Amino acid sequence: MIQLEDVSFSYDGVYSALVGVSLQIDDGESVAIMGNNGAGKTTLVKHFNGLLRPDHGRVIVNGVDARRRSVAELSKEIGLVWQNPDHQLFLDTVRKEIVFGLRNLGYSAEEADARCDMVLKDLHLEELAERSPFALSGGERKRVCLASVLATEPKVLALDEPTIGQDAGQKLRLARLLQDMNRKGCTVVVVTHDIEFVIENFPRTVAMSRGRIVADGKTSSVLSDSNAIALCSLSPPQMTVAAQSMNRLFPEVSPRMTALSEVEEAIVRILGGR
Amino acid sequence: MALIEFSDFSFRYLGSESLALRRVNLKVEEGEYLVVTGPSGCGKTTLCRAINGLVPHFHHGYVAGSVIVNGLDTREHTVAEMSSIAGLVFQNPANQLVTLNVEKEIAFGPENLGIEPSEIRRRVNDLVGLLDLGSLRDKHPHEMSGGEQQRVAIAAVLALKPKILIADEPTSNLDPASSEMILTLIAKLNREGMTVVLIEHRLDIVSKQASRLVLMNDGEIVMDGPPRIVLTDARCEELGIGVPKATQIYQRLKKRNIELPRVPLSGEELALLVQEASHR
Amino acid sequence: MSFLEVFQYSRIDSPLHRLDPRSKLVMVIVCSAASLLFLNIVPLLIVLSCLVPLIALSHSLGRWFKSMRGLIFLVAFIVIFNTLLSSVQYPFSYSIALALRLIALMTSFSLFFLTVQPDHLSQALIQMRVKFEFAFAMSMAMRYVPTLGQEAYAIMDAQKARGVELDKGNALKRIRNTVPIIVPLIIVSIRRALLIAESMESRGFGSTHKRTYMDRLYFRRSDWLVVAVSLVVLVFLVYVRFILGLPEWMLWQLPF
Repeated sequence: MIQLEDVSFSYDGVYSALVGVSLQIDDGESVAIMGNNGAGKTTLVKHFNGLLRPDHGRVIVNGVDARRRSVAELSKEIGLVWQNPDHQLFLDTVRKEIVFGLRNLGYSAEEADARCDMVLKDLHLEELAERSPFALSGGERKRVCLASVLATEPKVLALDEPTIGQDAGQKLRLARLLQDMNRKGCTVVVVTHDIEFVIENFPRTVAMSRGRIVADGKTSSVLSDSNAIALCSLSPPQMTVAAQSMNRLFPEVSPRMTALSEVEEAIVRILGGR
Repeated sequence: MALIEFSDFSFRYLGSESLALRRVNLKVEEGEYLVVTGPSGCGKTTLCRAINGLVPHFHHGYVAGSVIVNGLDTREHTVAEMSSIAGLVFQNPANQLVTLNVEKEIAFGPENLGIEPSEIRRRVNDLVGLLDLGSLRDKHPHEMSGGEQQRVAIAAVLALKPKILIADEPTSNLDPASSEMILTLIAKLNREGMTVVLIEHRLDIVSKQASRLVLMNDGEIVMDGPPRIVLTDARCEELGIGVPKATQIYQRLKKRNIELPRVPLSGEELALLVQEASHR
Repeated sequence: MSFLEVFQYSRIDSPLHRLDPRSKLVMVIVCSAASLLFLNIVPLLIVLSCLVPLIALSHSLGRWFKSMRGLIFLVAFIVIFNTLLSSVQYPFSYSIALALRLIALMTSFSLFFLTVQPDHLSQALIQMRVKFEFAFAMSMAMRYVPTLGQEAYAIMDAQKARGVELDKGNALKRIRNTVPIIVPLIIVSIRRALLIAESMESRGFGSTHKRTYMDRLYFRRSDWLVVAVSLVVLVFLVYVRFILGLPEWMLWQLPF
């Protein structure tokens, strides 16, 4: 469980990246953090594993104040997957990359190898195990980084903008993977501005703007709220736009729908049919 | 003759074992707005670069067939010669701004081609006005947001006065507000006569603006036609294309024997069509 | 690192900012020469007292002062070391002179960097017949330094999150721990360079030797004046130092 109590943070002492942020994420939740550029989403997530320490307020991870634990320690429980996989790849084979993180966190060589094998299988990376990560395609490099984090079996998996540049098929596979992880008990946190991805996959959304949390709750409520959407410079979800347009013509239709099936049923009710 | 004409064009990157493009045939007329989409690795990036000559002059490899742009065969003309016909805007804005200020960036292209300084100055002033870049004049590229950087990158490409604007996923790295701004800008340029070839995954935003949707897979063009026809084809789902949800609803309603008068590409269109249908 | 502040260009308007970079280059060379020609306290103080008004003319006194404050440790170090180790007759006096010379040199260079905009610098180099590719490589380097810096921080964050401890261990371990930072930084920079090259090539870079320039730098009367005065001062100083000799009172030293 991750708790932020009235956290404030500033990178340079002038501009506040986080202002009085209070947030609680329970074990097993699946949460999306949305907001415009500069809202503080990534800054927030970096407080989870101690990369950043709050100027004011507290960060409590699994009951212990994060201040008392180093980044390396916190990384055993909190796995962060970055947007640019090239920021961490530096060894000559995929296997070495995955084992590197594990050894740093204290696993023995045998344990590390075993976990590596398991995660290579899970992510269909077995044929690439002995290849150099630098020779792989962009998508494959992303999977290697994801694998290296999953190998540590973190209790919390946080991903920073995982859908950028991904096609629909890749996003679907990612969504399935995250659902699997969540079913196994892993808490999943995703920072993204891909509103359709969030609507389809995350029950809870935290919306941020200018360092503050402006909304936090059920995704369908948060993302159909025009105020929250406007504050975070997001575009409303496709189905909410449809719902709002339909509501103008058919007042009985709710303007706050977010799911495709909801809109479909509303149309069926209006036009009759099976 | 078409402005861009791919004739049986195939390309294999040096060092690669498979063809990036296989016998591609494509004709683009002046003024069209083409959206090219497809799963990762389908060849859309290679297609873009074949229009302005980066393929094969910058990315070497094996070529078969031809690409003729504005009457020029890209194999026989340098990228520099093609630059004043087809301008290419890339995905990452920071990698397209190589100078320290906006005016120099816009002037970069024309200066490279040896254009007369007073003409360059005129183009810079026009573009700063057209793309509303006045407030960015004193900023270092690093201090600009992604959307601002991309606007400057587009201005820098337009400075060469191309007839064709090719954009390779220009909004991937941008937040939703900036993405809309850039795509609105591109649609505006198209209305004013620019031929646009855009690679984009987010069809819910661009399919309304496009005159034509080209679907690629594994180096080949699989479908090519008006968005409303292409998006309702079953192959879209097979290929994992992000069909706009309004269009998906149209198809699901059809299966339930509810036929809307036309194929909607957006939520607003969908609502209007439902209204039309309810009056019948 | 605050002593580096005085080498950063800032966009202000001042008489010195308005001069052509080339005339400023001549001026700064002469100022540096003046700092190097003398190794006695009094002449160096005179040189400094001529330099400080120039800093004032570029509206950067505050910045200069901050930088000088940042230099205190280095200055103290120089003074102490030279007093203890040099074999001159009056070591303390000598080390004060050395410190003054350092300050004068830094101030001279800062006159250039404070007032010359990086693009103007590269344009000046091009007009001085430096090949375009070299001048441009220099300005591109300046353009990408902050970007690279940000990338380095992102890489450090990514590796720290994998358990790499950058600030622990003996000297050997710390050096080994820079590998996970440097390798990705180099790779990322190479990948970026290829993308930048595509963008530049698409805009005709390198296509002709007859490249034109939208804004050229032109010498004005004030520039010629600065160059003339600088050259006269240089000749005068060389004459005084080597031929005329310095008067007694200028050679005064502290008696220890």
